[in-house]
Amino acid sequence: MTLYLKAGGMLREYLQPDVDVFTRRVECTEGLSLRDILISIGIRPVHVAMAFSGDRLIPLSHVPSDGETITLRPPVQGG
Amino acid sequence: MIFGFGGNSIRINLKTQDIQRIPLENRFAREWLGGRGFISKILYDEVPREADPLGPENKLIVTPGVLSGHLAPTGSKCCFGAISPLSNGHGDSTVGGHFGPELKFAGYDLLIIEEIADKPVYLFIEDDRVEIRDAAKYWGLGSIEAEKLFKEDLGEDFEIAIIGPAGENLVKFACVSHDYGRQAGRCGIGAVMGSKRVKAIAVRGTRSLPTYDVKGTLDFTSAIIKRTAVHPNMAPWQKYGTAMFVGWANEHGVYPTHNFQTTFFDRYAGIDGQPLVDKLLVSNKACFGCWMNCGKYSKVQLPGKPVVFVEGPEYETGALCGGNCGFDRIEDVAYNNWVCDNTGIDSMSGGGIVAFGMECYEKGLITREQLEGHELRWGNVDDFEHFVDMIIYRRGIGDWFADGVVTAASRIGQGAEHFAVQVKGQGMSGYDGRGAPAMLLSYMTADIGAHHNRAWTITMDEDLGKNVIRGKAKVVVYLQHIRPFFDTASCCRLFWGEVDVTAEEHIDAIRLVTGWSDYTLDEAMRLSDRIWNLNRAHYLERNGGPGRKFDYPNARFYEESIPTGPSKGSKLSLDDLNIMLDEYYEARGWGKNGNPSREVLADLDLHDVIANLDKIGMLAELTTPLPQVRGERYKPKAF
Repeated sequence: MTLYLKAGGMLREYLQPDVDVFTRRVECTEGLSLRDILISIGIRPVHVAMAFSGDRLIPLSHVPSDGETITLRPPVQGG
Repeated sequence: MIFGFGGNSIRINLKTQDIQRIPLENRFAREWLGGRGFISKILYDEVPREADPLGPENKLIVTPGVLSGHLAPTGSKCCFGAISPLSNGHGDSTVGGHFGPELKFAGYDLLIIEEIADKPVYLFIEDDRVEIRDAAKYWGLGSIEAEKLFKEDLGEDFEIAIIGPAGENLVKFACVSHDYGRQAGRCGIGAVMGSKRVKAIAVRGTRSLPTYDVKGTLDFTSAIIKRTAVHPNMAPWQKYGTAMFVGWANEHGVYPTHNFQTTFFDRYAGIDGQPLVDKLLVSNKACFGCWMNCGKYSKVQLPGKPVVFVEGPEYETGALCGGNCGFDRIEDVAYNNWVCDNTGIDSMSGGGIVAFGMECYEKGLITREQLEGHELRWGNVDDFEHFVDMIIYRRGIGDWFADGVVTAASRIGQGAEHFAVQVKGQGMSGYDGRGAPAMLLSYMTADIGAHHNRAWTITMDEDLGKNVIRGKAKVVVYLQHIRPFFDTASCCRLFWGEVDVTAEEHIDAIRLVTGWSDYTLDEAMRLSDRIWNLNRAHYLERNGGPGRKFDYPNARFYEESIPTGPSKGSKLSLDDLNIMLDEYYEARGWGKNGNPSREVLADLDLHDVIANLDKIGMLAELTTPLPQVRGERYKPKAF
């Protein structure tokens, strides 16, 4: 299935966007959690403070569906 | 006229009531840029080394820097500085909101407030009118209620910087408040303001701010607005602000819990950003010229308490007035936040010192009798509020705590110093460095004591290893140059850190508003390096040396391992801390004793400092070559 991950800041450098400057298209197996998908593409969960599907906050245990777009937010760098 | 600046400074002598307006010099403006830069230079040059921080010779300095008041980008900040009563060294603290821009619209880049008034006063500034006015009516009121009264009396157009009863009573971690809930929180600047009997500064400005390239600035800002509006981090920032990181900090084992006894609070879900938004949020709130609106304006009503409105809680308050004091309900944390804000104490130091008191009570080092018949239990709002009241009004043992955690520990004795969480007298921010050694090094070496805004390293600590101590010092140095730069230029650091407005773009903004077409990021970083060395030398000249002896935290951080949570078992030894300090001093071009060297001071053209340190035998001689570039940028670049 296909998943779209968006990120800015520090996370963008780990994500290596390929669709636009913020977005990466990821092909992955159905049923995997977001945490597993992130690890499989080389992003450590520590670099993700929170994740959103649309306006909805989701945990890293969330199992994405085909075509879903998920926005990842890095931890605040002090604040 | 100097493009980019209000153009004037004011020197106010509270004793003689003499008010001097002095044009700002272009050379001084470029050399020190404003904000923290102006403060460092003036404190170093003008405050006698033996001056009591709460005495007449200390100076209160208020300065919006070069970008404050401009639209490019988020120029909302204003820096308050003085010799800190907590550290007895350079102190500065920055507040957002609208005060700094308003001061520049009135034509001022710098207020230097000297001596002590013979009665409570406030400073009234409306363009050319600068007056010292009687403040009897406002003295004794809480920060929030007094600010409201000032606005009623003077008009909504006035911006107010104000202290609460804590500042009036010289509580050494009193803050300066503004805009009903923003604070220049750290370093006890509110106590210095109180020592001068200045309740508030009220300012209204109606002038235009001279801008070198108006069209260029507007085009530049428009482009940044368009770009950042669609940035993936923008919407989450707008929705949650910083409060959401309570969860993240717990999940990664750096969250201070029960006075830093551990780094994981198992009930954190009740005080994270989500319950804040779901239960308390009234509206978002923005600083001048900001389209992020990350401030959260909240309403709280606890049984038996008044309805209160508070800006926050932000992450730091959520940590230090939250799990660090054992609170697991966001309503309680928000109420604690209001108690700190209205009494006029920094909610970080306030939460930290109450947590210290709670641990003392838990261990039987302070008694119910000493607490006026009350208890001081983890997670109890009434206990928190009562204890803060004892501190603010210096009743009984509250008087010890009002002088800061070091004094309180010393008066309590019985080993309390071990868990009096601080560096250089400044209570720690809301991250525990045992699971993040570079963060601890940042606290240890920060010029104002244990404050996170000088350098924040935790994701690097995670990347390179929670228990890895070597190879991180150069990055700490780099961060200590880049992050305080935003306090010098007086703009919001979040746009750099969170939505990819680069440091280079901030330099572009400085060029556009000032016309200094040859201004570079290298010049700005060199200024940061100069300020850091100047503040270090100032600290040594006031406190003696060698510098290394001041760079250790309390013993909990090198004698105890973390007992629970994701960082369970993490422990640093004193040897580890010394290895980190050795690397750090080498990266800075300092001697092994932690004193600045002749070589680095000469390289930074701080020749007067060389002479001063030499005179008192505190100038280090290097045994290794001086690093030509101090600090090293960590990848990813967005740091």
